Amino acid sequence: MADKEVMQFSSVKFRHKVPAPKWFNPFKKQHGAGIAELDFTLQSGKIVGLVGTNGAGKTTLLRMMSGVLPIESGNVTANGTILSSQELRRRVGFMPEHVRWSGHESVEQTLVEFALLRGCSKDSAIEVLNVIGLKNRASSPLDSLSQGMRQRLSLGIALLGTPDVLVLDEPFNGLDPVAIDAFKRLLQSLARKGIAIVISSHHLFELDQLIDTLALLHRGQLVAHGTTVSIQEKLGFKQLAEVCLDSKLPKKLMNGLEVLEHSSTDKTHHMILQSVPNNLLKEIVESGIGVITWREIQPSLIELLCAATGLDRQSIGMNVENSAWLPMRKLQEEEE
Amino acid sequence: MTPSSRMWKLVMSVFRKRVLSTRMMIMLPILFLFIPGMAWGFSDPNIQLPADQIPETAAESMFLASIGIVFAGTMAAVLLAHDGISKDRQSGVLEVRLSQPMPRWRQSMILVIGNWASIAVPVTVLMLISMWLVGYRSDMWISAGDSIVFVLAAWLVLLWYTIFALLASSLAKEQGSAIAFSIGLWFLFTLLWVLFTTLIAALNGVPVGESKDASYSVFEGRLDLLSPNGVYHHLLETRLEDVNRGVSPTGAVLAALAWTFFPLLWFTRRIKGLVP
Repeated sequence: MADKEVMQFSSVKFRHKVPAPKWFNPFKKQHGAGIAELDFTLQSGKIVGLVGTNGAGKTTLLRMMSGVLPIESGNVTANGTILSSQELRRRVGFMPEHVRWSGHESVEQTLVEFALLRGCSKDSAIEVLNVIGLKNRASSPLDSLSQGMRQRLSLGIALLGTPDVLVLDEPFNGLDPVAIDAFKRLLQSLARKGIAIVISSHHLFELDQLIDTLALLHRGQLVAHGTTVSIQEKLGFKQLAEVCLDSKLPKKLMNGLEVLEHSSTDKTHHMILQSVPNNLLKEIVESGIGVITWREIQPSLIELLCAATGLDRQSIGMNVENSAWLPMRKLQEEEE
Repeated sequence: MTPSSRMWKLVMSVFRKRVLSTRMMIMLPILFLFIPGMAWGFSDPNIQLPADQIPETAAESMFLASIGIVFAGTMAAVLLAHDGISKDRQSGVLEVRLSQPMPRWRQSMILVIGNWASIAVPVTVLMLISMWLVGYRSDMWISAGDSIVFVLAAWLVLLWYTIFALLASSLAKEQGSAIAFSIGLWFLFTLLWVLFTTLIAALNGVPVGESKDASYSVFEGRLDLLSPNGVYHHLLETRLEDVNRGVSPTGAVLAALAWTFFPLLWFTRRIKGLVP
């Protein structure tokens, strides 16, 4: 699938209204945290992972993308046309975090109800039942569904009307490892069909295996967006490799190598190398040295986030952002 | 399928859910006791009412029986609709609804009409039973014109309370606040309004103790335009003879239109800007 732009968000902004009661005006509200003039492009068939700490604005951004929250300034375009909020909602399927489906209605009735809200046929609701694997539970009441089944139902509703973009907020929550695996395969098959997918998740390991590009969000701003490799390069991360050999490397191969760590036993030589030349592995094998292990070390998403924000692991993990922290230098308006 | 037909299908879905809900099963006997029960009582040929009031026509008996709608019908409307939005907000379903492309004004109409119909239909059936009971017991049969006005007025007062409950549900972050707000409003208009009217009348020098005093009656009638129950009774009074409470039938209809239009507008705007 060619990398075709399906949607472009240009300088989109939204700020929550938070209560700031005064004795003469107990209902007074002021601007709180939010998303500050963010630019973002979604490409068909690509899966974007949205990563940030608690309070970074991930859910707010996903809600903006799906038309749940209004875009206060900036615009959303598709094929050069500015989209209204209604048109945005038509093109985006949204799966929020924590939807507790309950009631006596069946899974099928619920899907049909949302198919009507989405403007698609009853048949499409039945098709979606097959896609999400709930065909056998079509007549089950919502009250009887497990958490995983509820997640599938939420995904099914997001898929109604074949959206161009699928926005998923913490889709792996409450799923067992088998279900997560099935879910990932389902998302990959949807991406192959050309749907652009945005996923926010704290399951970094699962996310790392699934995504094509990564978006790092911090204090309502997009601090980095691109492939993991391009972000690593941009942030100055060098390629690392963990190597374990059965004998010492000859001098001619050691020339120009940056060895960060080195330890040896009688039978093994263990090294962590930086900026590894492309042909090094081939040359080692050709020189007759046995390679016990060879592993590329990728920086974790947390390390990337730390590097992008300039914060250390502890402070980035523990501190929940508030409005006072927002670097609103881009905003035209004064802070209240 | 056109957007309108989709909307009506969704209205029917809300209607079915509400009519078949457990709370409706609990409220139906109460509604039955209050609406046909009142009609049965007020159509008794030997009835003794305070101030020597004796219903002389079927419309008068139905007017007196309308207290059943004011007490039980409006309360049932509030109890049915109070969680129309707050329940979805708490479960996260509201977020899914708000992300759907159907225009928000249509979504608000689905909620209003669906919830309103779920109380209006049973109340209408019970009113028709009441009209038959009045005719059977007193041999005074209500005219077609009177019955239409009585049913339409009941529909309106139920609509107003449904909108109040949905508004409260949209304003409250959780169901407890939503029901407190709705019941509080019902309490004010249904039980406290007499006290409020009396207090305002007394402050304005109107003779409050004299129940037959014309000036108090006119004052009370005009103040009743500020209450949905009062406007409901004004609409019913357009079909009664010798009633003069200082409000013309046109005034009553205009007040009814205002009570319908402004809360509906407020609710529609609220849904348009609603955030989860």
